[in-house]
Amino acid sequence: MFPWQKQKTEAIEKRKARKISKNLKDNVKYIEEQYSYGLNYDFESRTIQGPSGRYHLFFYSTTVDTKQLSDHIVAPLLEMKKDIPVDRIVSVPNISPITNMGDVEKGLNDGSVIIFKQGIAEGFEVNLQDFKHRAVEKAENEKTVKGPKESFTESLPTNISMLRKKIPSKDLIAENISVGTRPAVPVTLIYERDLANEKVLENIKNRISSITVDNIRNIEILEQFIEERPRSLFPTLLYTERPDNVSNFVSEGYIAIMMDNSSSCLIAPITIWSFFHSPEDRYLRWAFANFSRLIRALAYFITLFVSATYVAVTNYHSQLIPIDLLLAIASSRERVPLPIIFEVLLMEIAFELIREAGVRIPSPLGPTIGIVGALILGQAAVEANIVSPIVVIIVALSGLSSFAAANYSINHTLRISRFIFIVAASFYGLLSLLGAILLWAAYVVSISSFGVSYFSPATPSTKSSHDTFFRMILKKERWRPGFINPKDWDKK
Amino acid sequence: MQLTKKPLRIREMVVIVFMVIGLKGGDTTPALFADHAQNAIWLVPVVSFLCLLPPFLILMYLLKKHEKYNLVELIFHLLGKKLGTVLSLLLFIGGFVSMSVDMRNVMEELNYLYFPESPTIMIYAIFLGICIIIANKGLETIGSLTWALIPIIILTILAVMTVDLRDAVWQRIFPILGDGPKTILVDGISKSSAFLEIFLLTIAYQAFHQTKDFRIGIYTGGILSCILIVTFYAIYAMVFDYNTINNIAFLYQESTEIVSLGHFFTNISTFFMIGWLFSTFLRFIIFLYILCWIFGAIFEIKRFEGLILPVGIVSMILSLIPPSFSINELVIRETSLQIITPLFLIFPFLLWGTDRWKNRGKT
Repeated sequence: MFPWQKQKTEAIEKRKARKISKNLKDNVKYIEEQYSYGLNYDFESRTIQGPSGRYHLFFYSTTVDTKQLSDHIVAPLLEMKKDIPVDRIVSVPNISPITNMGDVEKGLNDGSVIIFKQGIAEGFEVNLQDFKHRAVEKAENEKTVKGPKESFTESLPTNISMLRKKIPSKDLIAENISVGTRPAVPVTLIYERDLANEKVLENIKNRISSITVDNIRNIEILEQFIEERPRSLFPTLLYTERPDNVSNFVSEGYIAIMMDNSSSCLIAPITIWSFFHSPEDRYLRWAFANFSRLIRALAYFITLFVSATYVAVTNYHSQLIPIDLLLAIASSRERVPLPIIFEVLLMEIAFELIREAGVRIPSPLGPTIGIVGALILGQAAVEANIVSPIVVIIVALSGLSSFAAANYSINHTLRISRFIFIVAASFYGLLSLLGAILLWAAYVVSISSFGVSYFSPATPSTKSSHDTFFRMILKKERWRPGFINPKDWDKK
Repeated sequence: MQLTKKPLRIREMVVIVFMVIGLKGGDTTPALFADHAQNAIWLVPVVSFLCLLPPFLILMYLLKKHEKYNLVELIFHLLGKKLGTVLSLLLFIGGFVSMSVDMRNVMEELNYLYFPESPTIMIYAIFLGICIIIANKGLETIGSLTWALIPIIILTILAVMTVDLRDAVWQRIFPILGDGPKTILVDGISKSSAFLEIFLLTIAYQAFHQTKDFRIGIYTGGILSCILIVTFYAIYAMVFDYNTINNIAFLYQESTEIVSLGHFFTNISTFFMIGWLFSTFLRFIIFLYILCWIFGAIFEIKRFEGLILPVGIVSMILSLIPPSFSINELVIRETSLQIITPLFLIFPFLLWGTDRWKNRGKT
């Protein structure tokens, strides 16, 4: 540790270890100074002179429930005539004695009320926190037709309560690890004690506790700190906003990572298949679910390969195209001056622009995107002979298909990979395209997420519910995913 | 951190064997056999397999008996350091020559059929570069990758079979012995080392989850490969008939070239190139990796992945020496196979003999 860091840490430790004094005035003076009372407009410091003694309350008026404060704390203190301990006067469920200033600080930051009494070297922390957050709403990014509709919100207690409702079991553990220093915030790991693999759990805890950064405020940032390959195209943690999805994963033996201020949570370890699965695949009946998966699989292949194949085939293997189609393509390209690869890249980039702008644009301006996209980039570009109509069709197809992805993280992977393949196809036709696919596939099968191969259970194979491209009939699923090595493999 | 150690199992072994041996149905090997055997081409691999079976079984028996060793360690254990090095090196050289010659053939095929205007060396460089990069990732990646891509390859194989069978006339299989039994036997035995990879694959004996996985995998894969090769060769014989078959160099591609799918898709051979090219890539990735592994095992190089680049490049340079495809295929490949064959047929017996000799007092 550097000397200046050591100095800083020592000062903080000293401050935290300071004991609460018997003298109320000393305590009040110290805390008012620490919390800049008077400058901080929502910091309240209030003396209560009751018949039984003199009390002092500290709290942030913006983070506590003021109604409960006046009904259950202020009123009893004012009315109590006998001199009995504070925790027997105050009628709230959450009250705990504290002895040093570190706890006072922590309590105040968490939204508690701190009570001091004249003549007692002890304070009381009363948890009346009332942080404001959104109500539970419908899932916006992972929609389903059949199945539960609620989604996580930015409040951790609410989120955990939703999970507890779904898995009412004493084995569901919500464990806290703190991360960061300014201030240290808790990261909550949710898992089933009798399922989750110890090694994986240990690995996740180690990765979280080895983060050295001043603060991490939400799960989206945390994800980038704990993943193995930050530069990789492939996400190794699943990001989901649906409590039903999380409870499905947790009850299979996966581990969920949650934080306050995030309306989503992370699942680890994860394989590539989970990114292609929608929770709806389990809610729909077997045939319908598999049909929907088939369509999605088709969409992935289209989005990855259709533009690249068009470039490869028209440039290098035109003998493959049936004569009539070849003539059609040739005649549509007759007046287009650009080489095919530029044409395709131009349109692909235009599509990406529309997409990016569509996400960022304020919603009242939304319709503009449609006009610009459809008219200018589509029709006008064709009429101006900058691109051929067939390229517009192909790019629209591949762009549309990329949105069939069940998860937002994998959507980026698909879209970036598509550009790699298009460029590869322009070098040496199918030879370089297939080579690029092979390299890409070799990379996918070689990476792992928290010790689990990214492509399991297809390869390397283990006992599992074989939920890959297609799923089985639910009744026949016997094993939990063996690749994450849960403590109990058997579902039945 | 890896949750499961040695994760590869039976399925990966089956596809590895299938890729290395079975896909010889689609390269230039049938042309090599067809040169003499004519329309009895499908009987030649049967003879070869029958001829390879005893030495192979003996090798597998020895490996099973000495549980802890792979191919090179077994040779060292039985023959001692000096003799073991010589024999293993000979095996390595056999494999190396075979790989170089095969690779040149495939490159010529690719060049001639799909990229006639490109220089061979350019295609060769791209091909080899990709092989080297993937081979560097290790056996687990290779095994998994092979399994991940096998659906495409199987789909291609089935499609080719259906398409070819529409054009096949089964009577063309007669005369059943083609040029006569002698030609078949001589050809089958002398060129049986065209399938020598099955011996070299035993270097991976310890690399699977259990050694049982390896054994089941290699037997299943071997049987599947035999079936595939014989079926494919029979189809070639039925499609091309006597006297035409020995004038065609690329039977697989030619057979897809002459058929059409309805009136709309008239030229579909490039469709079948996808699976073929994938399998070719994978075949040489596995072959290259295994050769480097053997070399590393002989000279006790732990991190033999570093050898992949030099071995690959040397093999490319050497294989570019023959002036043309026909010389490469018909002179060099044929001669080299005839030289290599006895080595591969005899060495398991040699090992077996030493094993018996060493244990003579114990039973």
